[in-house]
Amino acid sequence: MRGTAVPEIVRFAAENTTQTGDILGLGTEQRVRWAKGLLPRGPVNGTVFYSGEMYPVMGYAEGAFRMLKRLEGFMDVNSLARVGPLMRKLGIYRVGARALWGGLNEKYQRALRDAVYVLRKLGVEMGYLFEDEPPSGVALHTYGLLREFKEHAEWVSRRLEELGVRRIITLDPIVATAFRLYYPEFVKDWRVEALHFVEIVAREMARQGVRLRLSRRVRVTYHDPCYLARTLGVVDEVRFILGRIEGVELVEPPRHGVNTGCSGDGGLELTQPPLARKVSYERIEELSGTGAERVLTSCPACIMMLRTGFDSMNLGLGVDDLASLVAEAMRNGVEREVETDAGEERREKLFFKRYRVLPRSPEPKSLELDDLAEMLLWETDKCKKCGFCNVECPTYRALDRLESRSARGRMTLINSLVRGDPVRPRAVLDRLYSCVLCGQCSQSCPVGLHVQELIVYGRAYAIYSGRAGVGPGA
Amino acid sequence: MGFPEALSEISKRVGKSKVLTDPEDVYAYSLDASTEYRRAPGAVVRASSDEDVRVVLEVADRERVPVVPRGSGTSLTGASVPISPDSIVLDLTPMRRIQVNVDDGYVMAEAGATVLEVDRACREHGFFFPPDPASSRVATVGGALAENAGGLRGAKFGVMKNWVLAMEVYLPGGRRLRIGEPVYKWRWGPDLLSLFIGSEGTLGVITRAWLKIYPLPEKVVRIMGTFDRLEDAGRAISQIRRRGHVPMMLELLDRETIEIVNEVLGYDVELAEAMVVADVDGPREAVWRMAREVEEVMRESGGRTRASDDPEEMQQLYQARQGAYAAVTRAYPGVLLEDITVPLSKLMVALRELENLRREYGMRMPVFGHAGDGNLHPTICFDPKDEDQLRKAREMFIRIGRLAIELGGAISGEHGIGLAKKELFLEEIKAIRGEGYLEVVREIKRMLDPNGIMNPGKLWF
Repeated sequence: MRGTAVPEIVRFAAENTTQTGDILGLGTEQRVRWAKGLLPRGPVNGTVFYSGEMYPVMGYAEGAFRMLKRLEGFMDVNSLARVGPLMRKLGIYRVGARALWGGLNEKYQRALRDAVYVLRKLGVEMGYLFEDEPPSGVALHTYGLLREFKEHAEWVSRRLEELGVRRIITLDPIVATAFRLYYPEFVKDWRVEALHFVEIVAREMARQGVRLRLSRRVRVTYHDPCYLARTLGVVDEVRFILGRIEGVELVEPPRHGVNTGCSGDGGLELTQPPLARKVSYERIEELSGTGAERVLTSCPACIMMLRTGFDSMNLGLGVDDLASLVAEAMRNGVEREVETDAGEERREKLFFKRYRVLPRSPEPKSLELDDLAEMLLWETDKCKKCGFCNVECPTYRALDRLESRSARGRMTLINSLVRGDPVRPRAVLDRLYSCVLCGQCSQSCPVGLHVQELIVYGRAYAIYSGRAGVGPGA
Repeated sequence: MGFPEALSEISKRVGKSKVLTDPEDVYAYSLDASTEYRRAPGAVVRASSDEDVRVVLEVADRERVPVVPRGSGTSLTGASVPISPDSIVLDLTPMRRIQVNVDDGYVMAEAGATVLEVDRACREHGFFFPPDPASSRVATVGGALAENAGGLRGAKFGVMKNWVLAMEVYLPGGRRLRIGEPVYKWRWGPDLLSLFIGSEGTLGVITRAWLKIYPLPEKVVRIMGTFDRLEDAGRAISQIRRRGHVPMMLELLDRETIEIVNEVLGYDVELAEAMVVADVDGPREAVWRMAREVEEVMRESGGRTRASDDPEEMQQLYQARQGAYAAVTRAYPGVLLEDITVPLSKLMVALRELENLRREYGMRMPVFGHAGDGNLHPTICFDPKDEDQLRKAREMFIRIGRLAIELGGAISGEHGIGLAKKELFLEEIKAIRGEGYLEVVREIKRMLDPNGIMNPGKLWF
């Protein structure tokens, strides 16, 4: 995994993911404590609730993100990545982090507990793997460490089989994407079903005719996470759930559903936090412009970016996981419709539309450099430079239309790198790491290029490229 | 002094953050939408004010450093690609203020605003900006003016130059030129607006323009006509215009285009030898009468027609045309997009000759375009890995250009000349206008840009 082209913060996150099971390396105890007494150990009928490597520790990430803003100009994120291991050596890492940001983290862990409460109220049977939960390793994929991801995913696949897991329910859409889309690409015979929380909740609410009521009236807006809406195509479920809660008024922002806007995460919050903040501002203004009292979403990274953004702009808007609002309503009781002629309508609602807006993923023959190069050159040569991908590219917009950190610019740079133009892999990687992987580019490409995925493969090429003097074990 | 010194001075005067020299930044500016020409500049200067533009042109002129003005880089001819590595690309995208003045009937737009942004700003006031190049959501006002871009509404509204009241231009050396006034009537001569519009950045840098706006049409009816013979469609188009109808859009697609759209995008568009899509606009009370007349003309030429003013159905009637370029580029990794214009009376001859050419070379070449103004986009498809196909495609490209010249038309209706059509362009000038014309234009160039720093290698220079 080591390579001089890979920034320290990425190495830090990648190592933590695979070794400790969470992106910050806070340890198993920190990762699983939220679930104590809530769920039985191990799968129930093959089903587990899967917390992933982000949600249980996201409050600490939020704390670090807030701190970095205050330290801007003095310390960057890579320096912070050096402090972590040092503190760990001194034995003060976990204690320090908990003392500083334990309170922030509580909010994220509460969302996990709320999700479990909702699922159980709906009769969903499931267990939890506690310290046996293998991390999905999605960060390895995100940052282009694809060989490591493949190796890790194969191990996860074997591990889940040993543990008897056949179905995963998760609150994290990035993890759901990894298990549903990336694992089948990288692991032979992957057979585990992965569902996001909102999919199963919508299905069960429809099937059981559930209606809920809040004890207050609230005007909310919903921020569709790109991984859930654009990548997995899950859009209508959220509207269905909110429509079934009395007291909730949903106001959609101008960009919603599969056309959602980016809140600045997708990995950028880790690699280039100042840019991530810049990207988030446009979305924050858009969401606050809806006049909603509360913002809901379904992704831990989006929650972090929106919470910190609303705070920094003094907009006083709170952000919650959708699961928490559903749980709040459920605590007032669950009303089930009596079986009537509405039953037929309900059965129809069991099947929600799965939106398909992204093109096919590129398929290199292998992750060897030559095969990556062949695929990348073939695909990026197809790019017509029409620039349609740039129109909605969040970093292009945030950086005053800077080409080298735009979707089209990244296609050009990958092409240049593979062709052997005098560009430096590390510097190209820096431009590729400035992408939020929101997928708008892939959605709008007239040629049908999966620009977002090509950027991930481009990252891999830059990392493993021989000219970088790096590579596994280097 | 040379390029590094010039750059260092510019950097000091405009601010370091606006000057990009890292290879990973400048290589991102090494291509345009022609994708055929590739060269990274030595530096990119991101101008965010008139002063930035002035400084660059002053220093570059003194130090003889080539300057390539650039908007969003959507030109299809290599016009925004430098020909020498010691060039400065002057990126105008950070300059994009827009001010609509409904009372005086214009919109002021800086060079970096996109055409669509200008149009949207006008629409908020019940007006619109008629020129609509297919790239309008990306293409900038500065680029569209420098290329004299057109679009789908060309049949009725013409090209960019028909919509300009005034402009500000910076010349090599840093001199500012304000041309025209934002009023609908002014008559100084000679008209320098037309000198700069379409000059592809070879004379100066357009930094802002005052553009006419137009009231949104009260109602639009879309008509789709399908034809069993390509020539019938050509006849219908010229007859529509001949009978005094000026549809806002008058588009043509041939069978091959429809086939590719259906194959690639999975549409189920009726397969015909040709399809014509027309948008008739007018007052609510009269628009359907006008639309029926256009339908009648299409039927007289052997067409089957459908018409609608329902937005959803209108979209359906348009889907094949809308998806044409996307479908072709998805199906073929290599495409050469032609852009000829022929007199309307020669449209049928042109279509026939294009068909003959396609047969002769045995290549796929869907033809679509804004036939209402005689502008066709024969699109030569090829496999870039196949040398023979590549050679054939290039030959066809030249022969199509020559066909336009022979028919008394033009080798480019809206895309421009850039690097892609330079040779054809000189042929066209010599064949139609003679060497003398060329001399006059070169003298003008020498006068405005004596050191030849402005976008060298493009057009006649």
